[in-house]
Amino acid sequence: MIVNPILLQVFRNRFVAIAEEMGVTLGRTAFSPNIKERRDYSCALFDANGDMIAQAAHIPVHLGSMPLSVKAAIAAIDMQAGDMVMLNDPFAGGTHLPDITLVAPVYVNESETPAFYVANRAHHSDVGGMSPGSMPVATSIFQEGLIIPPTLIVRNGEIDRNLFALLLRNVRTPQEREGDFAAQVMANLTGVERSKQLVEKYGLQQTCDYAGYLNDYAEKMLRQTISAIPDGEYRFEDYLDNDGISTDPVPLKLKVKITGDAAELDFRESARQVKGSVNAVYAITLSAVLYCFRCLIKEDVPTNAGIARPLNILTEPGTVVDARFPAAVAGGNVETSQRIVDLVLGALAQAIPEQIPAASQGTMNNTTIGGIDPRTDQPFSYYETLGGGCGATSLHDGADAVHSHMTNTLNTPIEALEYAYPFRVTCYGLRSGSGGAGKQRGGDGLIREIEMLTDTEVTVLTERRNGSPYGLNGGSNGQNGRNQKISATAERVPGKITCSFAAGEKLRIETPGGGGWGKK
Amino acid sequence: MLIIGIDTGGTFTDFIWQEGNQSGEHKRLSTPHNPAEAVLAGLNHLAGERPFWLVHGSTVATNALLEKKGARTALISNRGFEDIIEIARQNRPELYDLQVKKNPPLVPSELRFGISGRVDPAGEIIETLVEADLQPLLEQLRQKQVESIAVALLFSFNNQQHELLIAEKLKALGLPISLSHQILAEFREYERTSTTLINAYVSPKMDRYLAQIAEQSGAEVFRIMQSNGGSISAATARRESVRTILSGPAGGAVGAHVIGKQSGHHKLITFDMGGTSTDVALIDRHLPLTTESTIAGYPVKVPMIDIHTVGAGGGSIARLDRGGSLQVGPESAGADPGPICYGKGEELTVTDANLYLGRLIPDHFLGGGMQLQTAKVKQKMEDFATQLQLDPIELAEGILAVANSAMEGAIKKISVERGFDPREFTLFSFGGAGGMHAVELAELLQMPQVMVPTSPGILSACGMLMANVIKDYSQTVMLDQQQADHAILDEQFAPLMKQAQEDLREEGVSAERIELQPLLDMRYKGQSFELLVDYTEDFVSEFHQQHQRAYGYASADKPVEIVNLRLRAYGRPDHQLPQQQPKAQAEPVPEAILGQTESIFGGKQQATTIIDRNRLQHGNSFDGPAIITEYSSTIVLPPEWCCDVDPFGHLLLTRKEAEK
Repeated sequence: MIVNPILLQVFRNRFVAIAEEMGVTLGRTAFSPNIKERRDYSCALFDANGDMIAQAAHIPVHLGSMPLSVKAAIAAIDMQAGDMVMLNDPFAGGTHLPDITLVAPVYVNESETPAFYVANRAHHSDVGGMSPGSMPVATSIFQEGLIIPPTLIVRNGEIDRNLFALLLRNVRTPQEREGDFAAQVMANLTGVERSKQLVEKYGLQQTCDYAGYLNDYAEKMLRQTISAIPDGEYRFEDYLDNDGISTDPVPLKLKVKITGDAAELDFRESARQVKGSVNAVYAITLSAVLYCFRCLIKEDVPTNAGIARPLNILTEPGTVVDARFPAAVAGGNVETSQRIVDLVLGALAQAIPEQIPAASQGTMNNTTIGGIDPRTDQPFSYYETLGGGCGATSLHDGADAVHSHMTNTLNTPIEALEYAYPFRVTCYGLRSGSGGAGKQRGGDGLIREIEMLTDTEVTVLTERRNGSPYGLNGGSNGQNGRNQKISATAERVPGKITCSFAAGEKLRIETPGGGGWGKK
Repeated sequence: MLIIGIDTGGTFTDFIWQEGNQSGEHKRLSTPHNPAEAVLAGLNHLAGERPFWLVHGSTVATNALLEKKGARTALISNRGFEDIIEIARQNRPELYDLQVKKNPPLVPSELRFGISGRVDPAGEIIETLVEADLQPLLEQLRQKQVESIAVALLFSFNNQQHELLIAEKLKALGLPISLSHQILAEFREYERTSTTLINAYVSPKMDRYLAQIAEQSGAEVFRIMQSNGGSISAATARRESVRTILSGPAGGAVGAHVIGKQSGHHKLITFDMGGTSTDVALIDRHLPLTTESTIAGYPVKVPMIDIHTVGAGGGSIARLDRGGSLQVGPESAGADPGPICYGKGEELTVTDANLYLGRLIPDHFLGGGMQLQTAKVKQKMEDFATQLQLDPIELAEGILAVANSAMEGAIKKISVERGFDPREFTLFSFGGAGGMHAVELAELLQMPQVMVPTSPGILSACGMLMANVIKDYSQTVMLDQQQADHAILDEQFAPLMKQAQEDLREEGVSAERIELQPLLDMRYKGQSFELLVDYTEDFVSEFHQQHQRAYGYASADKPVEIVNLRLRAYGRPDHQLPQQQPKAQAEPVPEAILGQTESIFGGKQQATTIIDRNRLQHGNSFDGPAIITEYSSTIVLPPEWCCDVDPFGHLLLTRKEAEK
């Protein structure tokens, strides 16, 4: 069979359009600012095996992990038409508990088994657990919130109300969760409908064939890209500041071996899994690696299962990059994922220095604030991540105050924040001079200062507070980040902690700068 | 009275004039170094010494922004928040790019100033502005030699005091000042600041340009087209130029709306295919508006006609990428070198594929004014087909199929994704290349009918002549449903209405021509995306219904929130619509048949009639396959379709079986 270049392009447009339309539906119909304003979600289309055909460009950390979720759902439950399976279990296809994935099968032409699957994943701003926002400084998954293994939540088009009531009873903001979940259901319904229409138009066989060719296409693009990297073995080592429980740094090690058009990434010498929540499950490590290699392809290729084929990722179960039950994992998704990117890029920089940027801020600066809103007497839970400096490249200064690598959410506007929560923002600006010096300067981090208008509980889950983002080729490191509690005096707050703030006290977060590139 | 509409484009400046029952058009080359030259020369040609009224769509503000050649502007914000404009929303434009490129702010940090004072969400002043701070600020601004000033303070839309105080004090500088609560009285500080700043940035340039035309043209009435589909006086446009930023495409949408309405077509999807890109918009009785536009990467949140653009046009280049997929666009051959068939180009484009398939008639392009190079296209198409192991006809049709799938996607975005079924709409095609693709696109989307207006090449200028005077007002209120009865909302609307009446009178609109349309931005409490709902007796159930249509669900028991009040104030123009022509017989006059050609449809060569559009009359009806040519456009009528000429000279294309 000769692949027709015309049909290949037409199918590609159509598959991507389905994932994008799901995203539009989810973003618009969701309730919580975290999903609507910050767009912390992803949507994708999968083949009958759960291999990804197309993903809308949303959040990179969901890249490799979405297919694992779909596969876990398929393995656990025999989905009939009109059914949907939800899950967040990091040890069964999930990544961390707030990210809830919803999977739906696509049956066409009375087929016996699903021809495709659609799925979406959204970050819910609370799924229970020991602290508001469900991103606590925990030592076990049980403290982080409600664990949902693959569960049939929608049967024949109807939400299982009993089960849903049980879930809602275990979270702090049930109404918001209900609204967001309804949006996830809508997104999948849209995806199912559009997939069926595609098959109606082109027939099942041709649609499946071209889904396969698109994977081959992406694979071919990546193989050509890897071929241009000099063969060899490149090692790199970096650290997480600590796990939030002990103060010891957590080392991560990588050996990249490039052979022709394939790459082997060996993470097996990384630290054993730790007590605190910076453990990453394998899905996260996979996502971070896929992200790095996807970035190396200059063209706009569809993001699908083909990208993974030239890559062989080796991890040791029970390490911080392949954590096992019942490790705490909330921070693995948001923090360790960033460090894995630093590791992969740091190794590749030795092979292709002109193409690789110095380290970016290397953290998402997760901040959750919870309490009772005095205006309504209702509990609230606010979650946000903050941008920082990007690493400089051989040609350009690093960008300032932006979300780097594994996330790309929007900020919550100050005016939206103050309408919705009992806070007052007292400062929001660039952290001038925090980017590393160099021939090209690293990007600056930012400063965000929030005054509490009521008593609150604050959890920060942040990195690069001790270590700092590396410079490359003689460029300086970026400045590390800093968290402070300000009342009469300013007091330094550790990188990962839950603590109480009284009304009138301020939380000040200064995010890290990016590394510089080249000697000044 | 002689009324003249002018649309300045990149290549041509289009003129349309109307006087009583008479009308006509005129085209001349644009003068990008000073667009006023072409405008003034054309006006001189058309009007001479006679008095006239003028409506103008200008690209001066747009280009100032796109080329970053606006004024040296200072931005004043709350102290500690000077960087809001630079931080933007913290996201990066490209997800998979190791070289993150953020849009640079229009104002560098040395021209950004913080000032004391703070307002809270309820509009209470929680920190007063220290007036003593204003004198040193004034000195600094003077010293920095700024040319305009933007002021954007937190929650200023709930309490204008501080912004007004700053404006009062800085008046002494004699510079144009844009205040955020006047430009866009809505929450979300980055977007409000950006819109206000862009206004301050582009207005001085627009001011000089409009002043020149006002002085030298001698127009009795001088109105400017806005991006919202209405016009405003040149005097207002000089102060609030941000409202004119997408005036050209807006003219096209207004033209489609008015022409469609006159012919009884109220549901239209407009399709304007040009050389490098294609604009589409959905009209469901009303012109579609959005407040979420981004121009050159900067948010501009004033209401604009919701036009979606995709990077596929007649000049889009076809090539095989290294993964083996046929790409068409976004690279374009543009006007220079242009498609191969224009003589200079070396890479195959969509236009070349149309020529290869016999859908462009080489002898009749631009009224025969430009001979197309058929042989070179044939050679290149065959070479490329050999390389791809395809038949050249299959390749040429494939190039069109890929371009059409991009345009189909664009139309789905504005229809299906928003809960509209394209099968209920007429595809309204204009622009130079639109007519060659319209029918195939309609087939893809199962749309029953295509409409091609008279003079499709200058529809935008026509629309400007037909536009209402429109002014938009808004105010963030953030009210719960129970706080939002009619008494309270009426009270909140009252100052906006008063302002609108005053402004329109100032615009020269007499009271009986004024129409006010109050609207509400509403959402379920907790959502952060709003729907625009008419402020009617039962606006809450109206909201639920709209939510159901847009998003597929509604929750009547969930509390609803009113975020913004909006007011559109219309002044109806006194333009002449085209008049009905007498009905002729079904058979076109013999002179309308220019000859026969061989065109390819569905892989097969077929005898095809070439028809001269200028000779067609009301009541004419004929079957495809046919190619209908006119000065600046070509319309392809495939074998299964037929064409009828309506009473106003517009063409209606439908499937043959639909006729029976």
